[in-house]
Amino acid sequence: MNQRFFLGYILLLGGYRLAQTPCKQLIPTCREAYMEDFQWDGRYWRAELYGGETAEIYYTFFRGLRYRLIPCGSSSTQSPPHLRIYNANRTLLLDTRQQGERRHWDLELSSTQLLVIELYYPTGEGCAALLVGHRVPMVEASAR
Amino acid sequence: MESYMVFVANTARKILPVGILDRVILLCLIVGVGCSPSVDNSASVEGEEDSVYAIPWEEIEVYMKAAPSPVQVALWLRQEKVPFLREPLHDPTLSGRYTGLQGAANLGIYLTDMAYAHATSNYQEAYEYLSSVNRLAARYGIDDIFSLERIRALERLQDKPDSVQRLMSQYYSEVQARLEEMGQQPMLRHMILGGWIESLHITLALLERDSSRQPLAEMIALQKNLLPLFIKVYGVDTASSVASRQVLMYLVEVQRVLNNLTIGGEEMKATPQVQKGLIQIQFQEGARLSATQLLSLKQPVARLREFLIKV
Repeated sequence: MNQRFFLGYILLLGGYRLAQTPCKQLIPTCREAYMEDFQWDGRYWRAELYGGETAEIYYTFFRGLRYRLIPCGSSSTQSPPHLRIYNANRTLLLDTRQQGERRHWDLELSSTQLLVIELYYPTGEGCAALLVGHRVPMVEASAR
Repeated sequence: MESYMVFVANTARKILPVGILDRVILLCLIVGVGCSPSVDNSASVEGEEDSVYAIPWEEIEVYMKAAPSPVQVALWLRQEKVPFLREPLHDPTLSGRYTGLQGAANLGIYLTDMAYAHATSNYQEAYEYLSSVNRLAARYGIDDIFSLERIRALERLQDKPDSVQRLMSQYYSEVQARLEEMGQQPMLRHMILGGWIESLHITLALLERDSSRQPLAEMIALQKNLLPLFIKVYGVDTASSVASRQVLMYLVEVQRVLNNLTIGGEEMKATPQVQKGLIQIQFQEGARLSATQLLSLKQPVARLREFLIKV
């Protein structure tokens, strides 16, 4: 009985680890591939999205910096997750799905704002993550 | 009893809109604890066990991460070319005297001071703060992240601010991941709170020095959106932690002052434009608050900070 319980536990643990690995692996893979000359802010958001679920991210964006938003994921349909960008009062400003499919988006704001970003898969399900990088815009950087 | 309270809080969260839930939290505080925070020495954040959450940790984490990280604040301050002010910063020699949750809050405070000192090219001060971070990190078994070897590596790169920031981002992410892995989420929460309060405290001091700096004023006005999230984070955690209740009272006090300020353009019209993967969002200029109005936040912020750093 005890042996069976132990075997079940090992299988369960193994299954859990297996399910977690691709999701955990997303962060370094996407950072490596798409961050380029942006500086990662040291944080990430990660979620398993099923049946139309969304992951919500609150983020402070400063005026004068350029941001890189990297939505990455491993979904059942192989397509990357999309982003809906809202202001702090939850008014929709932009849905990246309407702008075509891209591996990353750069963002600049005319004033410092708290924005809410929704990460979602239009179809399919799977792990999704968002990484944010920032840098001084090129024009100003080259003027230094 | 605890599970009953969690059930009640969860149910309240599901049935009440966010704004109403905030008011309920506020009302509970006023009825239960009084309207104005007073420093209770027995309620020190030091070494206190935290806590029971009424909502999943993942949700708390989402709200917490709304606050800019010390690394992001540093890049912004560097971009704004702000001067270095020593006076508002914390005393690095006190780091050995903090433990528990208070130590975690001070870890965030020292990290922000370090990032600010580095952003203004005050490397000597930056490394003093980094050493403080190293001493504090040892208490949580994460001193390998800020090991002397790594500090020396940062020192060698001091004339390459981008490289230093890159490494700091990596270390900051390692701290978060490690604390989560170790089940030390309350520590992480206090660390982020400390970092956020310190960045606000520094920004207020800079604005006081030069009230014409509009970007600094913008960052302070933004707290109107950020503060309710932190109040939520601490509001869901009043089940067992006196320290959390105390922090919550100070946050509510900051919000009370903030609410008295009329911030124009609540719903600023935004025009997004997308070109070749670059999203540019133009926000309509709202009515601006004067620096004098914004500086009324200085005292309540200072009171919360004082609570976090007192030894």
